[in-house]
Amino acid sequence: MKETILLTKHMRENPEDSHLLKSYEKNGGYKGVKKVLKSGTPESVLEEIKSSNIRGRGGAGFPTGVKWGFLAEDQERYLVINADESEPGTFKDRILLERDPHQLIEGMIITCFAANISKAFIYIRGEYAKPARRVQSAVEQAYEKGYLGKNIFGSSMDLDIVVHLGAGAYICGEETALLNSLEGRRGEPRLKPPFFPAVKGLYNKPTLVNNVETISSVPWIMNNSGKDYASLGVEGSTGTRIFSLSGHINNPGNYEIEMGSSFGEFVESLGKGVRNEKSIKAYIPGGASAPWLRGDQLDVKMTIDDVANEGSMLGSGAVVMMDEDTNLLFAAKSLVSFFAHESCGQCTPCREGTTWLENILDRIASGRGRASDIDLLLDVCDNISPGLTWPPKMTTICPLGPSATASIVSLMKDFRSEVEVLLPKKVVVS
Amino acid sequence: MTWENARIDKAKEIIEMYPQKRSALGPLLYLAQDKDGYISDDSIVEISRLIGITEVQVQSVASFYSMYKQEPTGKYLLSVCKSISCEISNSSNVIQKVKEFTNLSNNETDDEGLFTYESVECIGACGGAPAIQVNYETVEGLTPEKAVDLCKWLKEEQPKVVVADELQLKFGGTKSFDWAIEDNTGSSSPVPGFQTYEMQEEI
Amino acid sequence: MTEKITFTVDGKTLEGKQGQLLIEACEDSGIHIPRFCWHKRLDPVGMCRMCLVEIETPRGKALVPSCTTQVTDELIVETESNTVKKAQEGVLEFLLINHPLDCPICDKAGECPLQDQTMAYGPGESRFIEEKRHFEKPIPISDIVLLDRERCILCARCTRFSDEISGDPLIEFIQRGNKTQVNTFPDEPFKSYFSGNTVQICPVGALTATSYRFKARPWDLKKVSSTCNCCSLGCSVELNVSQNKMLRILGEDNEFTNQGWLSDKGRYNFEYLHSDNRLTNIKLKDNNSFVDANISEATEKLKNKIEELHNPDIKFLIGANSTNEEYFVINKFANLMNRNEFLSKDKSNVYFADDNMFSGYFGENHQNASFEDLDSSDVIVVWSEDIKDNIPVLFLRIKKAVKNGVKLVVLGHTNSSLESLADLYLGQDVISNNFELKTNLGNIKEFQNIIENKKVTIIVGKSTPLQQKKYLDNLVDHIQKYSQAKFLNCFTKANTFGALQHIDQIKGLNEFCNEYEESNKNIVFTIGANPVNASFFGSKIENILKKADFVVSLDIFINATTELADLILPTTSFGEKEGTVTNMEMRVLKQNKILPGPGSALSEWEYLTMISKSLDKEIKYENVDEINKALCDEYENNEELPSFENLNKPSNLFGMKNRKNIDINIKDLEKNDLSILMVKRLYGDSSTQINSPSISMLGSERFIELNSKTLEKFGISSKTANLIQDQHSIFVNIKINNLLPDNIVLAPINRRGFKNLDPTKDFDIREATNMKELSVN
Ligand SMILES: Cc1cc2nc3c(=O)[nH]c(=O)nc-3n(C[C@H](O)[C@H](O)[C@H](O)COP(=O)(O)O)c2cc1C
Ligand code: SF4
Ligand code: SF4
Ligand code: FES
Ligand code: FES
Repeated sequence: MKETILLTKHMRENPEDSHLLKSYEKNGGYKGVKKVLKSGTPESVLEEIKSSNIRGRGGAGFPTGVKWGFLAEDQERYLVINADESEPGTFKDRILLERDPHQLIEGMIITCFAANISKAFIYIRGEYAKPARRVQSAVEQAYEKGYLGKNIFGSSMDLDIVVHLGAGAYICGEETALLNSLEGRRGEPRLKPPFFPAVKGLYNKPTLVNNVETISSVPWIMNNSGKDYASLGVEGSTGTRIFSLSGHINNPGNYEIEMGSSFGEFVESLGKGVRNEKSIKAYIPGGASAPWLRGDQLDVKMTIDDVANEGSMLGSGAVVMMDEDTNLLFAAKSLVSFFAHESCGQCTPCREGTTWLENILDRIASGRGRASDIDLLLDVCDNISPGLTWPPKMTTICPLGPSATASIVSLMKDFRSEVEVLLPKKVVVS
Repeated sequence: MTWENARIDKAKEIIEMYPQKRSALGPLLYLAQDKDGYISDDSIVEISRLIGITEVQVQSVASFYSMYKQEPTGKYLLSVCKSISCEISNSSNVIQKVKEFTNLSNNETDDEGLFTYESVECIGACGGAPAIQVNYETVEGLTPEKAVDLCKWLKEEQPKVVVADELQLKFGGTKSFDWAIEDNTGSSSPVPGFQTYEMQEEI
Repeated sequence: MTEKITFTVDGKTLEGKQGQLLIEACEDSGIHIPRFCWHKRLDPVGMCRMCLVEIETPRGKALVPSCTTQVTDELIVETESNTVKKAQEGVLEFLLINHPLDCPICDKAGECPLQDQTMAYGPGESRFIEEKRHFEKPIPISDIVLLDRERCILCARCTRFSDEISGDPLIEFIQRGNKTQVNTFPDEPFKSYFSGNTVQICPVGALTATSYRFKARPWDLKKVSSTCNCCSLGCSVELNVSQNKMLRILGEDNEFTNQGWLSDKGRYNFEYLHSDNRLTNIKLKDNNSFVDANISEATEKLKNKIEELHNPDIKFLIGANSTNEEYFVINKFANLMNRNEFLSKDKSNVYFADDNMFSGYFGENHQNASFEDLDSSDVIVVWSEDIKDNIPVLFLRIKKAVKNGVKLVVLGHTNSSLESLADLYLGQDVISNNFELKTNLGNIKEFQNIIENKKVTIIVGKSTPLQQKKYLDNLVDHIQKYSQAKFLNCFTKANTFGALQHIDQIKGLNEFCNEYEESNKNIVFTIGANPVNASFFGSKIENILKKADFVVSLDIFINATTELADLILPTTSFGEKEGTVTNMEMRVLKQNKILPGPGSALSEWEYLTMISKSLDKEIKYENVDEINKALCDEYENNEELPSFENLNKPSNLFGMKNRKNIDINIKDLEKNDLSILMVKRLYGDSSTQINSPSISMLGSERFIELNSKTLEKFGISSKTANLIQDQHSIFVNIKINNLLPDNIVLAPINRRGFKNLDPTKDFDIREATNMKELSVN
């Protein structure tokens, strides 16, 4: 199995200076946007994006062309790049920001051209200081060159980009929470409907929110074609995707591949196998929110649909491998406490439930478990996510709360005995 | 007025970047933290005037985000990741050693005001787990020993600017990806080293 | 929006309106869905998740909050399925795991939605064995509100109210997730005119009122509906009494008026009823001190006095706190006592104690507006006294209208609190320091654009007694010329409109001073009026009352006015009497009695009938029902009558046209330049307030407001100074208000120390240098 290098091409070929405008341009950068501005129309760009069948890379996998098509008419519209990447296991946007910021900027200019937008924001998580510096200086270079600002590239188009830093709140990755945050409010997800910020977004104006990787793919699509892009990968999961591989792996990292190979192949060929030649006990196929798959499920194909069929999701593209020695109770505890810490606190079940789950797991881990705790854990999960199915049913505003149940349900479904041994036996009174 | 004129000017500049004033709240909170190492009540009052919202509205937003500190922090904010990839890569050992060396528990600052310790959620360095940030500058591929070396070095050298690439070279190991060329930018206070929000060097 | 649709709930077909929230549509059909965060007057937030129901969607059944889901045609809803029940039980359990078990000492117990719903829907025993969240037990977040964060269930009702409804977001969520708590900023307490509403709508005992703390249990309370008398809005209230003590006043949701809300003054201004300072006995002055007397001694004394003085001139100074029934009797009595026997139109002997009263805009040419018109008009134009301070809930109604898209134009220098809501604020560029229009309104393009050909509601009144009416006329005529206008005459005091409806002709305090002739023999009645205090005419009236041959005061306290009386008759007050009142939109509302009066206090009408009897005059009423009937008899035949019978019906809230032509005989004061703009603040030194301990401190701050340019002229740099005029010197806090015009200060006339200032004379502001100057004049 080999990588298919589209988005990571420039950074790989020009490691010393891929983040500089000079280098980007020398290697064919900003060609696509120039072409579009000269001879393209918004409709033609939208057509290409639609025909590429690219789906959002932020986790929800919504078809990007369709989303752009929803954008309501208004004088004032915005583009917001979601660079809040905070889901444990995920670090793919970081490399795109740090190593090839101009690719993102070019993608943004094309997007704004297609959507008639003149103000855009890049919302970068606060912990990404170095990536943010790189993006900021790229933006400044682009302004100097006249690629941003008024009449960019000598055309009639204006575009301003503001780089905005988050401040430590995973929930701000959820697009409506992100918009609240960008408005200077608490990062609390908004009520749905309206289902899309494309109708009512930043300052209640129509707003496109897209992931870094999604928009970084746009220049390639315009330089080539939607069809070319669609010919890569498999139906429903076209093009390439950057997967972040971590855990007990010899060669962790970001890999750009076409979707369709199995997790096993991925781990063996690109990840260079499991560390210390151990076997995999369980793995997370798509970020901390995703239910786990077992080590004997490594032949599952890395496509949105195949993973969904196994009751999990490809999500943010973070693959975390856990070897045979992993203490899965501690793994689950780490995941649950992540969600408890990151709950915004609006919904009662998420605010109270996730912390309760964390407390119970803590208790079990420190030897103070009770015989009834497994039932209790599952019932509390059920009150956050009724039926414990995936994709989850929700008693909450956003999927964060239900996501916290994924690891517990996985643990109890496939590795229950690891927990049971820690609990006192049920006393049966006869 | 508790803010220097230069800081107020910078705040006004930032406000100008946004279609609505309130959007500048987050950046202004960083300016506040850059000044005092945390969000002081005085700064809250200052910001509420600059933006035109009430003090408690500022506080409500500030306290929502974990990077805005509500208590004074030390010169170096040590943030060790405890999320899943780090957890299964023995971050708990790193955490233990760093706590021992600094003699701090979670969210504590030492009396000299040198270190603040915190365990944090994923910092996007999972491929190089376990990982730490010093004033939001990332070091990947840590070992417990290297982590202690890092703290010792900070204590002895007390660098004015913390630079990720420098720390990585000295104390880091496996990285999430190739960082390519060395970069000498960094952070000068416990806020992200991002020019727009930082002015330690200017003042 | 009003399109009718049908939907199914638990197998029953119901009717609803397109766009209506499911929880509301169900409620309308008698199906109650449990809820904590939803409140019909607040925007839904869908936070507590208690109201989850199942609906059918193309992708199967889904749990959705009924408070954020709109009904659509043919929607199928289940509110009692197992999934719904399990989810609701789950939410309750989640809420209870951190809720303290202190119901036995909680003010809310017995009327607590959380307690009630736990009984109805909750799980049995607790499975939560960890430590609960702990916070410091109740912390005061203002002088009148306490916050117990342990009890809070984070429903955001209080925060939404402060942000959306009252527009002073001083209470907010702090922290996030499981650490979330409600709080205020340390240096900025919950200083809102409307804070008590959050106490009322808090679904648990997290927000409580200091005045009610540990006072009673809900099951011990006797309750009656009534109408607040703190201003002319006429908020519907519920009076809660235990053992003949008023313990609490709650807002009732009257769609037409207050929509559930009250100002803190309306809510907490009741402790005076039981004050030791209340007048309980008749007092006769004897050598400069008062001695107790009985009613026959009192009537005898008065009768003798009238005879002794040989046809004296008898004048009536009346206040705004009487009921319509009382005004009806006052009118009859005053007519009997009028030695001019009401020969001509100008000979009324009844003077209304409100400085800013003027002839207003009534009658055929000026269509009266109701509060509903605020919502349905295109534009609201305000030129009046400060609305927020004088008719606080009207401020809420205006804010609501503006939020829903109605445009707002504000004129003058008194309504700074409306500026942030206004589309157009016309201050010193357009209006002089003497409240004159400087330009023709037609020349103001923005103004013209906003009002032309629109439905306009005008809230209009004098901002200061020195204002000349012709400028208000200019505004009114201009708007009437270019648009469709309706009027709310901005008379702010309690039952002013009841007085206007029932007194044949009303005059003002200026007329009182001018018509008083020292050479005559004079008797003055003051009825619930205290014009010596907090009035532009205060010192003149004080002099008159001192010289008058005999002064009779009907009142509830000894105050600056009544202490000058020769005979004081203690009267009943709010909650101690039954009657009707008329609010500023001319809506008649009922006040009810739930308390006995103190000591030998009687109603005003009772004294007046007794006096007339002793004078062999023919006012004879046995009870207030009779007066109400008599009053109704004067209505035209087929009008809806404001009879007790009608008003006691559940749908008791009708408005009505003017009963007869309102006759206000008040002329402008002579033109004079203003240097001090005297305004009334919500909290001040009224007898009722200073005798209500919970709120008495709220009106104690002495301050002035002025713009920074004016302040600069005086070279003051500190936040305090002395305001000096002649021999008066007042130590004041200085507040910058750049909406004020140059060279003028704004000062609160109803705060202690200010009443002797002359608004037309120059003033000085000096640094407060030594302690001597700190003392109040
Ligand atoms: C709890 C939560 C966290 C999320 N975090 C991120 C994130 O860090 N980055 C991101 O791009 N999308 C994130 N998303 C998805 C966004 O809501 C949104 O779908 C995405 O930004 C849309 O961009 P795309 O269509 O390009 O994927 C998150 C969603 C949820 C519910
Ligand atoms: S599910 Fe959790 S994170 Fe999402 S809105 Fe509700 S409380 Fe906030
Ligand atoms: S204090 Fe009361 S009203 Fe406010 S959020 Fe808490 S429970 Fe709700
Ligand atoms: S899990 Fe530690 S950096 Fe991501
Ligand atoms: S009442 Fe609907 S979520 Fe609270």
